[in-house]
Amino acid sequence: MRKNRGFINFLFRISGILAALLFTALVLVIAKANPWEAFGNILMGAVSTPIKIADSFVAWVPLILATCGLVITFTTGLWNIGIEGQISLGAIMTTWALRLLQDSGLPPVVIILAGILAGMAGGIIWALLAGVLKFYGGVSEIFAGLGLNFIATALTLWLIFGPWKRAGVASMSGTEPFDMSIWLPTIPGYRLSVWSLALAVASVLIVYFLLQHTVIGLRLKAVGKNYKAAIQMGISPSKYMLLAFVLCGLFAGLTGAVQVLGVYHRLIPSISSGYGFLGLLVAMLVDYQIVWAVPVALLFAALNIGGIQLPIMMKIDSTLSGVMQSALVLFFMLMDGVRKKMLKKEEDLSDE
Amino acid sequence: MHIQLKNIHKYFGSVHANNDVSLTIEPGQILGLLGENGAGKSTLMKILSGLICKDNGEILINGEEQNLNSPADALRLGIGMLHQDPHDFPSMTIREDLQIWNQRSDRTRTDATDWQALMNIQEDLGFNLDLDGSVGDLTVGERQQLELARLLWLGVELLILDEPTTGISALQQEVLFSALKKLAGQGKTIIFVSHKLEEVKELCSRAVVLRKGCLIGEREAPFDENDLVKLMFGRQITRTRTAHARTRDVCMSVQNLNIEDFRIAIENVNFDLYAGEVIGLAGMEGSGQRQFLQALAGMKQPSSGHIRFGDEDLFGRNCYEYQKRGIFYVPTARMEEGLVPGMTLEEHYILSDCEKKIFIDSRKSHKTTEERIQRFNIKGRSATYSEELSGGNQQRLLLSLLQDPAQLLLLENPTRGLDIESTNWIWSILRERCQAATSIIFSSADLDELTFYADRILVFFSGRISEPLDSAGLDEERLGRMIGGKDWPK
Amino acid sequence: MSKNKFFKVLGSLMVASLLLAACGTAATEEAAAEVVEPAMEEAAPAEEAAEPAAEEAASNDFVFGVLMVGVYNNKGWDQAHYDAGLYVEDQIPGTSMIYIDKVNTSDRPGTTAAQLAEELVSKGANLIIFNSDDMKDSAVEFAVNHPDVYVIYSTGDTQWAEGANYQELANMKNIMGRMEYGKMIAGCAAALTSETGKIGFLGPLINEETRRLAASAYLGAEYCWDNYAGKDPADLTFEVNWIGFWFNIPGVTSDPSQVTDDFFNSGYDVVISGIDTTEALVEAKKFADGGQTAYAIPYDYEGACEQAPEVCLGVPYFNWGPSYKAAIQEAIDGTWTNTWEWLDPDWTDINNKDTSMIGFNKGDALSAENAAMVDEFIAELAGGLNLWTGPMNLQDGTEYLADGEVATDYQIWYLPQLLEGMIGLSSAAE
Repeated sequence: MRKNRGFINFLFRISGILAALLFTALVLVIAKANPWEAFGNILMGAVSTPIKIADSFVAWVPLILATCGLVITFTTGLWNIGIEGQISLGAIMTTWALRLLQDSGLPPVVIILAGILAGMAGGIIWALLAGVLKFYGGVSEIFAGLGLNFIATALTLWLIFGPWKRAGVASMSGTEPFDMSIWLPTIPGYRLSVWSLALAVASVLIVYFLLQHTVIGLRLKAVGKNYKAAIQMGISPSKYMLLAFVLCGLFAGLTGAVQVLGVYHRLIPSISSGYGFLGLLVAMLVDYQIVWAVPVALLFAALNIGGIQLPIMMKIDSTLSGVMQSALVLFFMLMDGVRKKMLKKEEDLSDE
Repeated sequence: MHIQLKNIHKYFGSVHANNDVSLTIEPGQILGLLGENGAGKSTLMKILSGLICKDNGEILINGEEQNLNSPADALRLGIGMLHQDPHDFPSMTIREDLQIWNQRSDRTRTDATDWQALMNIQEDLGFNLDLDGSVGDLTVGERQQLELARLLWLGVELLILDEPTTGISALQQEVLFSALKKLAGQGKTIIFVSHKLEEVKELCSRAVVLRKGCLIGEREAPFDENDLVKLMFGRQITRTRTAHARTRDVCMSVQNLNIEDFRIAIENVNFDLYAGEVIGLAGMEGSGQRQFLQALAGMKQPSSGHIRFGDEDLFGRNCYEYQKRGIFYVPTARMEEGLVPGMTLEEHYILSDCEKKIFIDSRKSHKTTEERIQRFNIKGRSATYSEELSGGNQQRLLLSLLQDPAQLLLLENPTRGLDIESTNWIWSILRERCQAATSIIFSSADLDELTFYADRILVFFSGRISEPLDSAGLDEERLGRMIGGKDWPK
Repeated sequence: MSKNKFFKVLGSLMVASLLLAACGTAATEEAAAEVVEPAMEEAAPAEEAAEPAAEEAASNDFVFGVLMVGVYNNKGWDQAHYDAGLYVEDQIPGTSMIYIDKVNTSDRPGTTAAQLAEELVSKGANLIIFNSDDMKDSAVEFAVNHPDVYVIYSTGDTQWAEGANYQELANMKNIMGRMEYGKMIAGCAAALTSETGKIGFLGPLINEETRRLAASAYLGAEYCWDNYAGKDPADLTFEVNWIGFWFNIPGVTSDPSQVTDDFFNSGYDVVISGIDTTEALVEAKKFADGGQTAYAIPYDYEGACEQAPEVCLGVPYFNWGPSYKAAIQEAIDGTWTNTWEWLDPDWTDINNKDTSMIGFNKGDALSAENAAMVDEFIAELAGGLNLWTGPMNLQDGTEYLADGEVATDYQIWYLPQLLEGMIGLSSAAE
């Protein structure tokens, strides 16, 4: 019975993917473009050369880091929309630490480590703010998160155009880039850093272990699935929800730190690059299973990178990648809804 | 209305929920449909009310074959079902709720809602609903009255009631039964689904018994109770009484306790609970039992008073402090408040393990799980999800999660919706606990259960709480009157 | 339970709106896809042979790549560049343009302009145009890493030997137009038309470029108010209101529509836009429709007036085509030198598509009489009138130019503050 159900679930997921592909193809046909050519271009744009594969991984790192955090909050039943702001705060704190220390003469390793720690702290602070607003202010984490996102963006812009502006010209291009010595070292000839890749892999393992093999993980899950029952079991929902915020903030801050240290080497206005929101889609798509998030985030990253080909090769807007990503999530949820409806009919039996 | 079911089959996956069921029901009859949990009663009734489709067979209504594809189809033909969980809109007033149903039914062609007809039905059946009150504020029994009145108002000829006495007070049950008898006298057909023999005995003129999907027997009133039990379970079951375990040690002393709620205010409660004692809470649903139990578990803060436990006063502490001292609350809504849907039995046992640990020791938890499943006779495996269990097994799981030894268990309607066998079993487990000096306070709508299992009884009536009454030698009739608000000291 | 459902619905709605937004853009692409179809086939004949074919194309053609910060057909800054690319394709046979638009980190998360430039190179581009100030670091990084590829970094000053940010890169050129003249003409048209003598300037973010452009508009307005309208300079009010960015970001910048409304509501009757989008024009039309006197002057793109011609006094615009043509010709001929070019309009005809870097399209709302005076002003500028002549003080009263002193390019480019007489912030609050 159980095995059978697993197979049915699998079928539903596959049909969700097919429906999403079909839908995207339809959009392309309406836009008078050849779907095969477009899909082919996206694929080739993401995997045809080692550099492109490496670039896909460059995008994968922050995406999976953000997803790591979101899987924890989703597991605990929280919609951490504020993740974008938490990434930004992480980036701001990393930039701040680097600005303080860059001329200190400390070894670059120490400065980079300090930057990473500061970034995590920044993410945690911003996430805790959302948590505190929820539990002590009675503000839903969704609205608190949205508000904090706006504040984080405003803060970023203010810093870039104000106190941290470049000599003379305050510019959209961000703060003055840091010295190369405090960039995360990359593989020669590629933009990919082994260190950020290692951070991402380690984060996935930690989250997997936390949620699968620790009592804390199980408690977070219980709070997410039924907080009233959790109370009966002696688990304080508010305590564990705050913990989930803290953990998510930590990974969000790390995302911001990697964006600063490994990708942009400075603070830019849209430092979060939308990875937080994209991470929400990934997390929803994989039903909050971190193991599945790894390939799905890679797929999304590849779509982002491969999508660049569309305007060059076919003069199609590259938001098509976004269409595909959104369509995937939409049809997945749709299929999931249908599946649940069917299962519910079956369950009427056990109701008796 | 004349109903004929012919060779009805229904499958859920590999389970044959209804196996060749044939049944004829005459107008003006109250038919009892008996069977233990999972026998296929609800499935059959859902087919008849259009909620699910039969896989095979015929349904003839007044001699004509009908296809019932939706509850709306059924309603159009005059078939209405009163569900275990009421289908209404909690955020609306009763009037708004009714208007929605009125608009949805095809039977009324006029735009104006005929309130007078509804009031007549209410009056006729002895209901007293305030049309401008909020649906969400109604008790289970009142919601049921609302639904019943609504169905009649929409012109239903065949009424199906699925376990209607679950969760309603004795008084409400009395009102319900007299209403049903009256309706039968007016020529309505009524199907009464239950696993409670006394009710069927009191109400029905004919009874059919389902077991494992098959219709295995039919009896006319007057019924022989033992005969019906044998049909239902394939054997005879009686309640087994064990010795009471009450000691003279005070477990908890409640003094001048005041509990306030937006719905009810409970004032000045005083009593001592002895170790090993069982106290039953009697009263109509919503008379304050839930608030009282929650207050004693720290789930709800009383406004003033003392809850002395050992050398401490627990007043003002949170529920985790209570839990640390071995005081546990077991809610009646098992899936909603007690268990975690989407989690396996094993995960439940890990969570309720009080040992402080960081990593999950799967070998140990596996062993514990197997042990408890066996000891508590739960029909499920360690990888079974809690929501897949039947109601009785969910209750067993809930009880098996309780820390042992516990000092005080606060149980809200612990046997609601369970058949006799499950009820007996659960009480045998609870009794064992009492022998180990655990005290129990439980609420119930079943007077038999109260007098049978409780050492003392507290009667609740709209926030008032009686002195503890010794259950031994307690006059059930007096208890019934007190629940109904009579015989209270000034 | 119902909460769960609510979130599910909310989630689906979010996704659906994302989808719709994406579809919306895809749909607008439709027209574009049609227009460029032939070019597309040239660039990508078959899907599996895409890359070699592109390289082959490179051996025959001179391919130039354009990185645009916004959408290529946005009737603003980016379209001006896109149109210039088409102009070059048309003017120099054998050249072809490939481009990536929306080169910014919000639209293309995880990418940098340098990375996208490399993408264009892999498709055969021999020369890359970076069209935005935001791409400064990427342009420099790319030029350093790819000494064999020509780079035009528009608006920048990195190849200005006398400039403050000089960094010698043999393969890089900076091109910028002297929009100061365009803004002076805009200021003149505004001053001539204004009845109340109150002119608003809708500024983007505050930096050297935007300060000098706002100041130029003020200088033009003051000159024409005084010399053509013959009014008292004391009666002229010129206020700059910065929204904080080149376009509206809800919740972050001030709303440009709101800022424009505030101008019109407090007695200002002409608003000069310094931002990339056309809110000033749209709002002016709203007020004009309501019976109030309201005019606006948009920016960047020669066709910007089309949105509301009846309230548009004209638009100062960039014409990048000739300068890009010259630079690309240099690259083809092998005569490329790294230069910083700050180009004048062609004073014989500022609207000459083939010669003039800066133009001014007069709008329908400019009266014939005032149009004549604007022409006269342009003629004066062509004749050598320099409004950047002292005495002139900065906003805080310190001397900027002594009496008779003419500002150097350096002084104008790096203008440290607004000028005395202008109302508004000189730098972002810190």
